[in-house]
Amino acid sequence: MKPVVSDSANPFSTTGRSRAGEPWVWLAAAGLALGVVMAVGLFLLILVKGSASFWPGRIELLEIRNGESVEKVAGFITRESERKDQDGKLHEEIQVFQGNKDLIGEAFRYVDRALIVKSSRPESLVRVERMEHGPAILKLVAVETPEGRVDAGEAGFDAALEAMEQQSAAMRARVMRIERKQIGAVSRKMQVLEGGGRSGSIGEAERDERRAELQQEFEALKSEAQKIDAELAKSRLTGTTVDGREMVISGDKLVGVFESNKAGFGRRLGEMFHRMWCFLKDDPREANTEGGVFPAIFGTVVMTLVMSLFVTPLGVIAAIYLREYARQGMLVRIVRICVNNLAGVPSIVFGVFGLAFFVYYVGGNIDRWFFADKLPTPTYGTPGILWASLTLAILTLPVVIVATEEALSAVPRGVREAALACGASKWQAIQRVVLPASLPGILTGVILAMARGAGEVAPLMLVGVVKLAPSLPIDDIAPFIHPERKFMHLGFHIYDLGFQSPDAEAAIPMVYATALLLILVVVTLNLAAILIRNRLKKRFAVSSF
Amino acid sequence: MSDSPKSPDPKRFDVSRATLLFDRLMGWVIRFGGIAVILSVFGIFYFVVKEVVPLFHAAEVEAAGEVEAGVEPAVIGVDEWGEMPFFYDGGGKVLFQHMEDGRRIEFDVPGLGDAEVSAFSFDPVESRMALGLADGRVGSFVVNYGREYADPGESKVVPSLEQEPWFALENGAGPVTALSYGASGEARVIVVKRGSGEQASVSVLRLGRKRSLIGKGKLTLIEEVDISPQLEAEPVILRASQNGSVVLIASADGGVLYFLANSSGVSLREKFHPFGDQVPQQMNFLFGGVSAVMTAPDGRQSQWSLFRKTEDGERLFGETKTFPALGEGPVAFAASQRNRTFATGAGRQLSIRHSTSGAVRMEGTIDLDPVATVLDAKGEHFFAADRTGLTKRYAVHDPHPESGWRAFFGKVWYEGGARPIYQWQSTGGSDDFEPKLSLMPLIFGSLKGTAYALLFSIPVALLAAIFSAAFLPLSVKRVVKPVMEIMSSLPSVVLGFLAGLWLAPILETKVPSVMLVLVTGPAAALFTGWLWCRLPIEVRNRFAGGMEWLMVLPFIGLASWAGWCLGPVLESLVFVYKDPASGEAIADFRLWWPQVTGCSFEQRNSLVLGFMMGFAVIPVIFTIAEDALSNVPKSLTAASAALGANRWQVVRTVMLPVASSGIFSALMIGFGRAVGETMIMVMATGNTPVTEWNIFNGMRTLAANIAVELPEASVGSTHYRTLFLGAIVLFAMTFVMNTIAEVLRQRLRDKNKIV
Repeated sequence: MKPVVSDSANPFSTTGRSRAGEPWVWLAAAGLALGVVMAVGLFLLILVKGSASFWPGRIELLEIRNGESVEKVAGFITRESERKDQDGKLHEEIQVFQGNKDLIGEAFRYVDRALIVKSSRPESLVRVERMEHGPAILKLVAVETPEGRVDAGEAGFDAALEAMEQQSAAMRARVMRIERKQIGAVSRKMQVLEGGGRSGSIGEAERDERRAELQQEFEALKSEAQKIDAELAKSRLTGTTVDGREMVISGDKLVGVFESNKAGFGRRLGEMFHRMWCFLKDDPREANTEGGVFPAIFGTVVMTLVMSLFVTPLGVIAAIYLREYARQGMLVRIVRICVNNLAGVPSIVFGVFGLAFFVYYVGGNIDRWFFADKLPTPTYGTPGILWASLTLAILTLPVVIVATEEALSAVPRGVREAALACGASKWQAIQRVVLPASLPGILTGVILAMARGAGEVAPLMLVGVVKLAPSLPIDDIAPFIHPERKFMHLGFHIYDLGFQSPDAEAAIPMVYATALLLILVVVTLNLAAILIRNRLKKRFAVSSF
Repeated sequence: MSDSPKSPDPKRFDVSRATLLFDRLMGWVIRFGGIAVILSVFGIFYFVVKEVVPLFHAAEVEAAGEVEAGVEPAVIGVDEWGEMPFFYDGGGKVLFQHMEDGRRIEFDVPGLGDAEVSAFSFDPVESRMALGLADGRVGSFVVNYGREYADPGESKVVPSLEQEPWFALENGAGPVTALSYGASGEARVIVVKRGSGEQASVSVLRLGRKRSLIGKGKLTLIEEVDISPQLEAEPVILRASQNGSVVLIASADGGVLYFLANSSGVSLREKFHPFGDQVPQQMNFLFGGVSAVMTAPDGRQSQWSLFRKTEDGERLFGETKTFPALGEGPVAFAASQRNRTFATGAGRQLSIRHSTSGAVRMEGTIDLDPVATVLDAKGEHFFAADRTGLTKRYAVHDPHPESGWRAFFGKVWYEGGARPIYQWQSTGGSDDFEPKLSLMPLIFGSLKGTAYALLFSIPVALLAAIFSAAFLPLSVKRVVKPVMEIMSSLPSVVLGFLAGLWLAPILETKVPSVMLVLVTGPAAALFTGWLWCRLPIEVRNRFAGGMEWLMVLPFIGLASWAGWCLGPVLESLVFVYKDPASGEAIADFRLWWPQVTGCSFEQRNSLVLGFMMGFAVIPVIFTIAEDALSNVPKSLTAASAALGANRWQVVRTVMLPVASSGIFSALMIGFGRAVGETMIMVMATGNTPVTEWNIFNGMRTLAANIAVELPEASVGSTHYRTLFLGAIVLFAMTFVMNTIAEVLRQRLRDKNKIV
């Protein structure tokens, strides 16, 4: 009989020759299978649901029996489920996203499949993305611009519609620039002026004069913005809903039109990428349920980077001390155990600490020393991105310390001794030989810390995250970096949209999309750490002796 | 002689001073920096503890000025800033005396004229003095304090008196000998005693405001009810509660009668004897008017509160707490106007007590014999006046009266409750709300959530770890382990969102299916193994060991699918709900469960939570347990196999026992991770602080509670500090667990080294 050769961890674990206990082996196998299926399944679920939220669906026109009459409902089918009614009978129920929230009130409608008389996908129905009230589902009638009216079906309709879309986008960008930057700058000047006035650095009369100037500037900018809006409002898109009501969308509210039922696969794919791009670059609209997540991405990235700026030097110094300088004894052993344990302390505890120490103690004192004129309005004595980053730095410090210590101890003794034998001082040996050799290990630790920090939400709820931040923590207004500002975060965005949103049902696609983004970030960081670690192992396999 | 070759520089082995200096500098930098980082990481917990410590401070009382009133006061009252007390001696004048600047103002009692005051009582909450006259009239006036701002930064207290209408009594005869006035906005009640001894009569006056278009309307008498026939002995103390609906009368036979006054009249509800046949020496309502503190002549003190003794019974008085007995001497009593604190004492004794927790906040003495005492509206000043009119002010510092070990970790008998309970309810709607700050339901919630999470995670993680360590080929393991590690770093907010918005609605109607899958899945795995070892050995040998986990997948997949589909069948067979009204039978587990067990069924329940927590906990347990099992020395497993053990016997008899402490430490770490998990708990549990093990409802955990409530708690309040205490409890729980785990793991490592 041929012996069975396997590369198993246990060279004696061939397939069971003995029957005793074999079912338990298979049960253990099932445990592993379940674990792997759970991990992979969750990732796939998020991947599919997240991607699906960008995929442009088809608009269904349903004719529903409603007593004697037949009602028409058009929309995207978002979910099909079974519902048990009072007497235990099962109903197949479909959830239809019918849009037109300003006309209908409810964005979703639940329809019993048994009541559907007829369903079709007429090509004339389009999805119109708007600035307010979410998307509309319409049959287009005409485009009216100052140049004239073009009816749907006429030759120049598509061109006119496209021109209107482009004009809207361009104009809106201009209005945004005026509102965000210029008006923002004026109001900041105003604040500075008021603050200076209180501390008495300039005279009353001068202040009044300057205030009037700023007020004038503000009015001028505002009227310019209004003028553009008024200009935009002159062009209008009209359409009818399936139940025959007319809807007029003015140019300043129009975002885009997509012919969901006419478009072929290529155009739908293009639209999907376009939506993904908008999701990444746009600001949120409609209580975060529409638009993009750019501020949240920005906040997450900035916070994670600032956190790693703090945690890397601190963690590395502490680890070098513990491994290279401290005398290895009982005390260091206890400290090491404690540091290890800190990694297991609940993150919310760190949040509580961050609130007590950073926000109220450090921040409160900074306010008392440097911003006394603004009190009682706190400047630093309130949650903000700096405190959030510091809190997460403390939270992830054990990760970096442990990883660095491991990397340091993995540097072979011979290498170290060789350096010392060549006349290097202790620090020179560390700086030139030990640290470069353990750099990949340290990097792994830092990346793992970043992955943990990026995905952590609970402590942030206490130290600086908000559902909607008016401005980014870094912008083009002096002093450019605003460490005291509150910020948005992808993880908190998920929590807020899913559980605090007034229209949770409408927010679900956004939540899946955001979850996908967050998971991609975290998984990418983790994979990077694992790859670096694997390469590191190989390197030392060669260099050790 | 030729030149000898240039001898080498003798200093060539010396190190440059710069290098040495830099080396030393860096040595110090690293030492200092390292120690500083480590110390500060642990020092941070100092700041958390610092926030909690004030919760356990007793009240502090210190003398803060005195003043001579010059009259013998029977009643003393004070403004909310504790600056200008007033004194009333039962005559026609009210005297105000400022504590600092010595201002003295005297007012005539408004509307009294020549009449003689024969009885009076004062309610500090509404600042109302009730007067009973010798001619059988009753009335009242209110002491108002205003603040006048003269110059910026300077202001002074300005007192004034506001007259209220007089009412002539119809029942009884003789002068009014005792009265009490209870009022809360609209409902007002006065209980009056006329005459004394055999002739004494008691009536209850119900007052109300006539609604009018302009203003509040006039206060009028609705009815006067003579309750003397219901009294069996002479009334001694009369008390009407602040909310104007409860009247307590202590009579000479030691009994206390409870009358309920509401829109349908005045009726006797209950008679009870707080101290046998001893007549209470003092009987005072606490803030809110639901509880009264009784003091016996010998100084025993107890609290009686209104509560429902049975589920649907009437609210009656029952003894809920006893306080440590006071000393000998006449007893003074002053209730707080803000919370359930009161200051009391016999003779010169001063004891500040809190009724909710039953704790004595402070015990001390004052240096005069008080005849009148009062606590100001903020509870920051205590005033006591003696017979000569000497009045002392004491500053009371007790920012967290409702805290204490008993309040946080013990059962507390809250007002209105039928028994002492553990309860967490930090905010309420009304002013007289009593915060309920027991951490026990939250600790219970944490443990419950953890238990259900571990119930699912431990078997899966350990089985997976055993298979991975004992049977999995190295090449596969190199992929599987990182997959599990990545799973452990999945953001918990994503898991929580999936649990709450995706899984919970799916599982809500599919509980029987889940039950079946839990049985069929493992059964299928076991059955596949049984079947497998009955295949001929030639067939089995064609497969290398270690791929069973892939081979078993289709079988458990199929079995689980079958179980899932058969769920509704099981439901229609077993979980049939009988509608008690119509007698109709409905197959619905959601209705069946509450009917059979009496427990509730919620969509976001422990089942969903347990499954989703698996994603967070399984990889943690798996990784550590796998490491422990993999590190079992090869010599041991090889020896056991060489002695003829089959592969499962090697696992069961060698690997598991040797790695047991490592596995145990894995469970501990898993426990720590589950206890502290916040976002999944916030999003998937419904966050109600229940204390039952029912798998089909949720819980509120310590961590979730902090995340939800701390952003809203006002800084420095008891609530805020209690949440910090919760964080410390959480920290202690995980830190202890992790330390045990770490020590075990190190010991295991040493042991394996020796082997």
